[in-house]
Amino acid sequence: MKKLFPVEELARDDRFRRVAIAERITDGRSPANAKNQEKLQGRLTPARPDAPDAARQLMHGIFTGEIQALEGAGRTCWDFPVGKVTDEAPDAVPFELKLDMARQCWDEARHCEISVKLSDWMGTVIGEFSEATFLYEAACNPDPVLRLTGVNRALEGLAIDVFNTMREFGDSAGDPVLEFCEDWMLADEVTHVKMGSDWLRRLTATDPERQARALEFQRIVDKLFSLGGFRGEDDDSPVRLARRFRELAGFDTDEMDELAEISRESRDEATRYQEQALAAADGGA
Amino acid sequence: MADPKKPRAAFAPWDRRELPGAFDVEESARRVGNYKWIEMRLFEALGGWVATVPELDVKLRLGTHCYHHAWHAELWHKRLPELREMNPDRLTVPPNDELVTFVAALTEPEGPGETIEKLVGVYRVLIPALVAAYTYHLNNTSTITDAPTIRSLKFALQDLFDDWRDGEMMLQSLIETPDEVDRAAAHQARLQKLLLASGGVAGPGSIGDPWASEVPGADEGIAS
Repeated sequence: MKKLFPVEELARDDRFRRVAIAERITDGRSPANAKNQEKLQGRLTPARPDAPDAARQLMHGIFTGEIQALEGAGRTCWDFPVGKVTDEAPDAVPFELKLDMARQCWDEARHCEISVKLSDWMGTVIGEFSEATFLYEAACNPDPVLRLTGVNRALEGLAIDVFNTMREFGDSAGDPVLEFCEDWMLADEVTHVKMGSDWLRRLTATDPERQARALEFQRIVDKLFSLGGFRGEDDDSPVRLARRFRELAGFDTDEMDELAEISRESRDEATRYQEQALAAADGGA
Repeated sequence: MADPKKPRAAFAPWDRRELPGAFDVEESARRVGNYKWIEMRLFEALGGWVATVPELDVKLRLGTHCYHHAWHAELWHKRLPELREMNPDRLTVPPNDELVTFVAALTEPEGPGETIEKLVGVYRVLIPALVAAYTYHLNNTSTITDAPTIRSLKFALQDLFDDWRDGEMMLQSLIETPDEVDRAAAHQARLQKLLLASGGVAGPGSIGDPWASEVPGADEGIAS
């Protein structure tokens, strides 16, 4: 089995419909498309007219994200040698890091099981929505520190925000099953983000340049996943930044402020593009 | 209530544990180092395969079992310093090159159409070999002096029995044609031969030597 398994080869059965990042961003209906003229629907609450479909779509996205998180953690178990970093093995990792990744495999496998059951509970099926693969793409980074920072801090951090939002949605919608499951998964995600925070600190303690590269990679992934303001701190952000849980996972206030700023920038950028697109459409009419 | 001052034996009447065991400290450490090495190779492979199998239930089981073997590796890693091996990496080695060859063949299948081969290697060859080696160790080590190893062996064996059953059931559900039966059998035979050449997960003597005379003097016909 080769090292570094490409995203194109991820194994799926016939139900799955994969969408690449480029397709997603250029799809005019996607919130990731800066020229999308439809405004974000706002915070996910039962009062939203499209709440049932939006919740089902979000749950499907959680499910496919969990599969890729499982695959990414599994690949980290396989892709890197155990030991000290040397010229011959610049990508070597500590034994304990691999143990954490194996533990994460188990957690993500359970999250897949929970998500499948919840999808059924909420009335959707595997394949009703498409699968975006950018979570796994972040997990393909050949530097284990960058991979862990991108996946465990940026993406699992997003999972904290998403699960907290879904948990609150379950509470406000009077769905104790959804609230119960999301709360359990939220606990696991805090653990995974803390793993990322701890390993980033330990592995780059004497290598500030590598730490800077890892944090830059995290910023890129965070920006990509802000999806034009999808996750932020504004009242109408569909997914809210869960500061309290991120703090438990090792994020400091400055980092969370920066994340909020990235989301705001992303949202402003999207709004600008929308206005330009609308102006162009008016001019052409 | 019984008299609290009345002396009681250190070993209750139902406690039949004995001091003698087949392994000294060095031999026990050597075996534990071999166990850690093979459990590491196994959890790494299971983790790596998750992305390569299209069958959703298999994907999730591999992710779960990956952690089981990582935890076993951690148990053995922690046991080594207790067996006077203060540098666990020194004994975290395969027993011989033949076992390395076996692991290379075990982890060879990668394609999405090779789930049967992946599962056969793990659940019909390696895990049964681990069950055998751990059981031999469990049944032959000193039940008093080596009790910590016994405890870890029992935890690991419980996982192995459960995972073995999971794996066998996945295989039985995937094998649907006579050709697939042949495929599974051929791959199993190939790996089994490589494992045989290594002598097992802890090398020759992994499960003892049933041909050796058990009773001193038996060969001379004076034991009876």
